[in-house]
Amino acid sequence: MTLAVAALPPELRASLPPELRGLRRDRVRLMIVDRAANEVRHTRFDRIGEHLGTGDLLVVNTSRTLPAAIPALRADGTLVQLRPCVRRDGEWHALAVEPLPPHRNVPLVLGERLTTAELFLGVVVGRRADIPLLWRIAVELPDVALMTGVGEPIRYSYVPEPVPLEHYQTIFATRPGSAETPSAGRAFSWELAIALRREGVALAEVVLHTGLSSYQDDEFDLEHRLYEEWSEVPEDTVRAVGRAARVIAVGTTVVRALEGAARDGTLRPWRGWTDLAIREGSPLRVAHCLLTGLHEPQASHWDLLRAFVGAPLLERAYAEAVERRYLWHEFGDSMLIL
Amino acid sequence: MSGLRGKVAIVTGASRGLGRAIAVSFAREGAALALCARGPDALRVTVKELRAAGADVLEVVGDVRDARDIERLAALTFDRFGRADVLVNNASELGPTPLPLLADYPPGAFADVLRVNVEAAFRLTQAVIGDMLRRGSGVVLNVSSDVAVSGYPSWGAYAVSKAAIDALTRTWAAELVGTGVRIHAVDPGDMDTAMHRAALPEDDPASLLDPAYSAEAFVRLALADPGTDRVRATDLLAPAG
Repeated sequence: MTLAVAALPPELRASLPPELRGLRRDRVRLMIVDRAANEVRHTRFDRIGEHLGTGDLLVVNTSRTLPAAIPALRADGTLVQLRPCVRRDGEWHALAVEPLPPHRNVPLVLGERLTTAELFLGVVVGRRADIPLLWRIAVELPDVALMTGVGEPIRYSYVPEPVPLEHYQTIFATRPGSAETPSAGRAFSWELAIALRREGVALAEVVLHTGLSSYQDDEFDLEHRLYEEWSEVPEDTVRAVGRAARVIAVGTTVVRALEGAARDGTLRPWRGWTDLAIREGSPLRVAHCLLTGLHEPQASHWDLLRAFVGAPLLERAYAEAVERRYLWHEFGDSMLIL
Repeated sequence: MSGLRGKVAIVTGASRGLGRAIAVSFAREGAALALCARGPDALRVTVKELRAAGADVLEVVGDVRDARDIERLAALTFDRFGRADVLVNNASELGPTPLPLLADYPPGAFADVLRVNVEAAFRLTQAVIGDMLRRGSGVVLNVSSDVAVSGYPSWGAYAVSKAAIDALTRTWAAELVGTGVRIHAVDPGDMDTAMHRAALPEDDPASLLDPAYSAEAFVRLALADPGTDRVRATDLLAPAG
């Protein structure tokens, strides 16, 4: 469901991480969407502690971002960029796009062999029935070694210059697997996280390896087709949720992981693929509040926000963020839905 | 002999000398290991030997000069083991040999020594310490040297880099108070290693420590807090009294 809002002014897309714009990572702006007061307020991310306290649990996604734009050589000698978003049982489900902007989709050929500069990468074995833009590629090499060896971070047009991979990692990044950075946690510094802990705010983890935010096809993107993502909810996290008075999901990926693991009504440890779609009216059994970045109102991201906030308040928040020149996307500002 | 069972340790410069000795000692104590070195052949020999002895070892050929290789080492470690409990920043560059006076030191070589001995240790620590901080547990061990504190002619960039490692360690240690994560700089002593032979070829090997001896200090530090951020291996291992 699209919100009744104006299009995002292009200059509000953050083109660099804050620390490369002369700001500390935790000094981005923070918009508080207060549902009880039906109010939108504005502060700075490093002051988030003023809105949190003892009994609160921040659940963060510890997935580490992979350099998931993989240059591959086609059988005909041309280059293609693969963007694998699902990797399972030796098979990638990957977008195949031009190596250079605007990165339009490129049709591969069934049976085609793909190589990296030095190594055999895999064979094209088909396309996904539900999402035909994703090619099924049988891959023989270990994913993480291959991707960290030859890949670059996936970058969209609003980030014109390459940004080193370490700037895509959140301070919580541990197990590698995300195609794009789980950016909601990006604004946390350890200085801030340590201070919050001292104030009694607890921290727990889930792992959800993110997929792609765009199929590089405007019409197809509007359909908001979701696919499965790998997620893990450890037992420690289930226990921490049980002890918490209020659970703040740091990112929509965390909502997906937690609510996916609580599908039958009770949160249980989970390890597997999740394809849960959360939108307006979806039950929220675990996450009370949501900390998130700002993404385009057309994106499926806002569908999920509708599970937390009614359209009028969300439209107001969006309008205020635009009016106050908040920066959007993975290197931009933040929003806390209380 | 199993004090590190269930723990995951990363060791850089693990194919030779002190790094290799630390890997062997950690393996004996039951740690799972992520070992990194530049030369694939020497690393393979170490890895094979440790695996034959029953250790769970991840082998990462990489150059810590390269930020990509550092991120790769961290990512592969977490992919394989899911965690990192101990990090040993051991990989070090001595500089050009015979060791030149600072007045004669090639500036490019000076920068390279600092990059390997200081910047790489900083970057790799940053790449893995998030996991330690979140879990509230972990140990980082940086290899230092007595040249960090005493002025010896011709130790040039190496001495500067080790003084910087001491400062990095001291500062980080102050920041880690209360987090459950520890960091120490360790002076392993003068050991009979390829690096020492390159620096001081005239030294009598019999007068030097066996790296296996110094490695025991790293095992002790991985297991228990000595209460100080800078440690000399010989002090730590000396019999009480």
